[in-house]
Amino acid sequence: MTHTVIDKSRRNDRLAEVLIRIGGILVIVSVVWILVMISRVALPLFYPPSATVVATVKLPTSISAGKALAVGAEENQRGAFILDETGTFHFLKVADGTLSASIKAPVTPEGATRVVSAEYVGKSAYNLLWDNGAISSVAVALSSTKDADGKASLSHDVTPQESLSFAASSGIVQSFARPVEGKGTVRIDRLAGDRLRITYQLVEKDLLGNEKRNNAICEINDALPGKLTAIAVDAKGHYLYAGTDTGMLLRWDVSEPGQPHLLESMPASDDRQAITSLALLLGDVSVAVGDAGGKLTTWFPVKVAGSGEDRRLTRIHTLRPNSGGVASIIPSPRDKTLFSGDGREIHVDHTTSERNLLTIKSANPIIQAALSPKGNTFSALDANGALTVWKMDIPHPEISFGTLFGKVWYEGYDKPEYAWQSSAANDDFEPKLSLVPLVFGTIKATLFAMLFAVPLALLAALYTSQFMSPKLKGVVKPVIEIMAAIPSVVIGFLAGLWLAPLIDKSVLTIFLSLVIVPLLMVFTLFFWKRIKTASPLQRATRGHEFIAMVPVVLLGIYLAFLLGGLAEFQLFAGDFKQWLFSTLGVRYDQRNSIIIAIALGFAVIPIIFTIAEDAISNVPRNLTAASLALGASRWQTAWRVVLPSALPGVFTAIMIGFGRAIGETMIVLMATGNTPILSWSLFNGLRSLSANIAVEIPEAPFNSSLYRVLFLSAVLLFIFTFIINTVAEAMRQKFRKKYGRY
Amino acid sequence: MNKFWKTGEPYVLLTGTALAVMLVLTLTLVGVVMTNGLGYFWPRALLKFDLKDGTSALGQVMVKEKNPISGVSRLQLKVANRDVFGQDFRWIDEKDIASRSLPTDAMLIERREHGNYFGFLKGVTAEGLAQSASPQETLQQAMKLVAGKMEDTRAIKKQMSNLNHTVERLRLKLLKLEYGGKEKNSAEISELTAVREKTMAEFTRLNEQATAAQAEIGRITGQFTDVTGGSKDIALMEIVALQRPNSMSFLAKCGAYLERVRELLLDDPRESNTEGGLFPAIFGTVMMVLLMSIFSLPFGVVAAIYLREYAKDGLMTRMVRIAVNNLAGVPSIVYGVFGLGFFVYGIGGSMDSLFFPERLPTPTFGTGGILWSSLTLALLTVPVVIVATEESLASIPKGIREGSLALGATRFQTLTRILLPMATPGIMTGLILSMARAAGEVAPLMIVGVVKLAPTLPFDTNFPFFHMDRKFMHLGFHIYDVGFQSPNVEAAKPMVYVTTMLLLAIVVAASSAAIYLRNRMRRKYTSSTF
Amino acid sequence: MAQAHDQSGGAPILSVSNLNLHYGEAHALKNINLDMTRHQVTSFIGPSGCGKSTLLRCFNRMNDLVESARIEGSIRLDGDEINESSTDVISLRRKVDMVFQQSNPFPKSIYENIVYGLRIAGVNDKATLDEAVERSLKSAAIWNEVKDRLNDSALGLSGGQAQRICIARAIAVNPEIILMDEPCSALDPISTLKIEELIEELKKQYTIVIVTHNMQQAARVSDVTAFFYLGELIEAGGTRMIFTNPLKKQTEDYITGRFG
Repeated sequence: MTHTVIDKSRRNDRLAEVLIRIGGILVIVSVVWILVMISRVALPLFYPPSATVVATVKLPTSISAGKALAVGAEENQRGAFILDETGTFHFLKVADGTLSASIKAPVTPEGATRVVSAEYVGKSAYNLLWDNGAISSVAVALSSTKDADGKASLSHDVTPQESLSFAASSGIVQSFARPVEGKGTVRIDRLAGDRLRITYQLVEKDLLGNEKRNNAICEINDALPGKLTAIAVDAKGHYLYAGTDTGMLLRWDVSEPGQPHLLESMPASDDRQAITSLALLLGDVSVAVGDAGGKLTTWFPVKVAGSGEDRRLTRIHTLRPNSGGVASIIPSPRDKTLFSGDGREIHVDHTTSERNLLTIKSANPIIQAALSPKGNTFSALDANGALTVWKMDIPHPEISFGTLFGKVWYEGYDKPEYAWQSSAANDDFEPKLSLVPLVFGTIKATLFAMLFAVPLALLAALYTSQFMSPKLKGVVKPVIEIMAAIPSVVIGFLAGLWLAPLIDKSVLTIFLSLVIVPLLMVFTLFFWKRIKTASPLQRATRGHEFIAMVPVVLLGIYLAFLLGGLAEFQLFAGDFKQWLFSTLGVRYDQRNSIIIAIALGFAVIPIIFTIAEDAISNVPRNLTAASLALGASRWQTAWRVVLPSALPGVFTAIMIGFGRAIGETMIVLMATGNTPILSWSLFNGLRSLSANIAVEIPEAPFNSSLYRVLFLSAVLLFIFTFIINTVAEAMRQKFRKKYGRY
Repeated sequence: MNKFWKTGEPYVLLTGTALAVMLVLTLTLVGVVMTNGLGYFWPRALLKFDLKDGTSALGQVMVKEKNPISGVSRLQLKVANRDVFGQDFRWIDEKDIASRSLPTDAMLIERREHGNYFGFLKGVTAEGLAQSASPQETLQQAMKLVAGKMEDTRAIKKQMSNLNHTVERLRLKLLKLEYGGKEKNSAEISELTAVREKTMAEFTRLNEQATAAQAEIGRITGQFTDVTGGSKDIALMEIVALQRPNSMSFLAKCGAYLERVRELLLDDPRESNTEGGLFPAIFGTVMMVLLMSIFSLPFGVVAAIYLREYAKDGLMTRMVRIAVNNLAGVPSIVYGVFGLGFFVYGIGGSMDSLFFPERLPTPTFGTGGILWSSLTLALLTVPVVIVATEESLASIPKGIREGSLALGATRFQTLTRILLPMATPGIMTGLILSMARAAGEVAPLMIVGVVKLAPTLPFDTNFPFFHMDRKFMHLGFHIYDVGFQSPNVEAAKPMVYVTTMLLLAIVVAASSAAIYLRNRMRRKYTSSTF
Repeated sequence: MAQAHDQSGGAPILSVSNLNLHYGEAHALKNINLDMTRHQVTSFIGPSGCGKSTLLRCFNRMNDLVESARIEGSIRLDGDEINESSTDVISLRRKVDMVFQQSNPFPKSIYENIVYGLRIAGVNDKATLDEAVERSLKSAAIWNEVKDRLNDSALGLSGGQAQRICIARAIAVNPEIILMDEPCSALDPISTLKIEELIEELKKQYTIVIVTHNMQQAARVSDVTAFFYLGELIEAGGTRMIFTNPLKKQTEDYITGRFG
């Protein structure tokens, strides 16, 4: 009977061993797993973008490639369309090139027979310029669905945009039509002989609701520095940009009806190559300039030093040059990506990050190309009548090592900067995701906190392990351990809502107590020396000195508080913060780095204290005894014998405290204003990597750039603390080996 | 003199000062929380101030201080009546005060909305209620009447909530059937739709009934005047509690205090968490912590056993140790991020597409919830359990193991019969410490499942009782949310202090218990070895 | 190397031949050959670190717990080789029990301490357990001292009592051999005397191998004595002979106290 039991228990034993080993290894697995999982989310930021050809189809013979005025494709790459001179949209199935439908633009202006050109104005809308100079606007809707059998079907529609139409006019070469908010519409025409004419159709409504229309027509009279070669107008009709064959870039303000004025005129490049194309980027602030030499640059107005509020167009980003000239530029409707090409080769670049995303090559010269409204489908028609549709996969064009860790010149900024601003109210906002201010904030918070915590914790640890009476030690150590257990949210709350207003009231108290408490201590010393000579007292106080110091510290802080008020009144006219701002130009935030230093320091003190105290206590007693026996005082023993032996342990304590401070979230979140700024000032707040994650991640859309960047900052935090902890642990193990104690 | 400096006594004093500063900091923290937290529920006197400009104010004195700009001493008064005065607090300069008094009939009315009302009772309007001698008595009777009637509507509400649950279940069932194939399940679908419609009709009927009842109760009102003379009708059902603090005896105040503590622990929050109780937050915290222990305890104990009893001293062990230390040292927010990426979107997302595809895109497990929060925190607190268990296993003398093995026991038998029972106090220490840590941890929870206001508890009487997918409330997050995200921070502060005190008390009590247990165990084995 | 002389003439219960043991680089036991006879007390003597405890721990494979230990050679129990990886260590340890230098009662009741070995073998019958407790406590000569407090914790016992409980615990599983690793070194003289009397009694039923530092003890309790020095078995033989007329000079020096 017992034998079967023994067999059974032996089996259990083996089974248990396997399970327990798995459990142990699982610990490693989970650490690695954490790193792998968060890296896996962050890594796609750096995946190369791709463009895959979905299909290349020949146009049906009924459509002549040479007469195509525009092309387009829908988001799922199943349908495409071509606009021809008759104003007809031909819808094609991409898979086989068969014609699905042909719809003529619903409105043909009187007397018009042929469409001369079509300008894509965003949101699937085209402005059609007719042969008699009339303009009409149409919107194209094309979408596809796939039914259960995998058969794709297209749905299409062409609708007129009534609000934007202009009557016939003669001599027009090129024309732009724009709605003007609250005013009516405007058309800007390039007439033969390099004349520019601006026509405002103003609509005014009187109190009774009657509409009154009148037109304001004027021509630009400014002398042009060359032949016009490219023109662009922003979506609001405020600015007119022009380029000349002499490489000059011009900008007019045309927002006031009848009063256009030239804002500036400057060479776009040093070698003065003719400007061949102009385009406005998403957001209508930056203009992209391409020239005959293939150079591609972007420009936006920047405050000029010494000229007050005056802003002038400045060259900001220089992108990869095209080998031929830049024949056309297509801005992405979703971000600051540009498609630029000379016909045979199309470059895809992101302007802000200056990242070269892709190069698309075509065997035959491309005559028409377009991006779908979401920017994920690129379609191009070549001279041979072949239509090619690409599926674009550019998940994070704006992210590169440069934008994450370097200075970036964002649109609207006066110089390249490290900036973090993840979101704003408007749609065409460009997220600014530089990790530098956050890393800086983390380091600043950690450094200040360590400056506060390390001296306190180490000195206290030395006192507790070397000088304190063992009985008291049994009380003080658990108190500190409980201090370590105080949730960080509690510390953060008190720091933010109690300490910050308190210090706000009397900033000087903090600085004064740094002076007064040591002064009082010195004063106590002299007093101490007196009573030390009385030996019974000496015996009683030995090991309890710190109790006497508690009232001294309290008294010191109270004195500092009183004096602080007085000093503020006397020296700073009663308002230190005002003085700070007016004299030193330093802004005072209520939740500033002083608060952080104290709160975060408070959180790491017990950690440093406990480990350091353990290390110092673990120095073998016989070392101490030997030193004391040689007649050294207790301080000399502690300072010259004990501390040097415990140094690796003390260092470990500081490292682990450091690691903890870096990752602390709630305290930094609650005790600072979370402003991502680069300033060493004590009186400013900061934003740390960890707090940034806590603030942003609930709002970050799944798998967006922001989401992945936040995961990347988690990876950074992980790696950083991993290194610190591993080094600290290695040192601790070495230290243990040296003294052979656990 | 010289010798005194030479021996370094001053430096000893310096180190002592450092310790003193640390202790002062700790005591200050605890002291601030206690003084602000404990006093909040005590019924404070309602002082009436007649000001020199002829106006008067009624309120509770909150702060007395010097005006930082003009230097005059001033009082911060909580005057309540937010809906009338616009603000809860006002400052009064002491020099403007003509006289102050304690009107005995001043009342503090705690309302369901708009905060407190300070004023005086004028009369009560209640159909079918005989007017008693004094309006106060009438008010008492009317309150009882209202309470009775509210009890009836509560029964209806209960029914409604059950119906609501049924409707929701039917909706999900229908979704599932429709997903499975509209034509295939058409019979069942139409049947269920009919049932659902019937239930909804019943719900609407009950709702009308409840609304009517409410409206009727709402007609029982009290008329009050505030100190400026303005009058106000307050429906009695809107009143949570009534006090006349100026005429309360000490015992009555104690009673009121205890009643408020009861409310704090057992009631739901009101007024966007700034008033009322903390019950859902306490419940959520406790349940999350317990759930977490279920995951972290076995894992932590097994890992510790591996390290101490099975692992050979080598590269592997060193790596496990480094891993444990890193688990302990990696910032908690990183766990949150991991939890979000792995548990919520990874596992949760897959679970949704496998088991609840019909509900998509509404996520079931693919969003933060109590299960994911517990798992995330379990990972975070595992090192605490490992370290404590390992320490207690290490403290068991080697002879005990050899004694057992020499008798023919297997290692596993030695472990389960001798070592684990002996290490239990240590394991308990680790468990309690990890629970204390989890109770106070907020950052990762903000990402993986905590919310400011959860409509339902993660545990209720509806099948399957434990709702692992639900979001929950948490004391620590409550502090952050109410203290930093609420629109009226000044009014919310007392509640935050109370919450902080509660959380601090829980955490400190738990850690003290753990430390006591550990120290006792250390003593026991070190003395019995020799 | 010296060969143990067979004193009683019966077949040896435990037979060691050409045993070598290495701890990592250190050669702790060097080519040991020794036989131990049934129902006799064999004592191992020698200075600290001579390998006597190590050899003892080979007999029930306790050295398995030491990772760096490497054992070569043969140990036969009743003719069966035990120094093989296929050996059933659990069963072996039930046959060859061990009492340690430091008494190591489990933090359980006296009763549970005694029946531990039976319980882990699956014996749960109350009567059997009761009988085993009484028998082994009587054999260990401690029954009278503890019979009224069998349910008290064994941790409350004095050192000598605890050590006898440990002996009783070993007896309870009915071993063939009891190994004692300096069982009295942590005890006072009176407790030591009691244990020595107990050994005298126990050898009627069991074979005992005892490691001791105390030469008087070896002389008092053992039938055969083996002297070890620096991992070598210098000499083994009848106790009287070793103590009165050793063959080797080293043995004589040690016994007469010139070193060690």
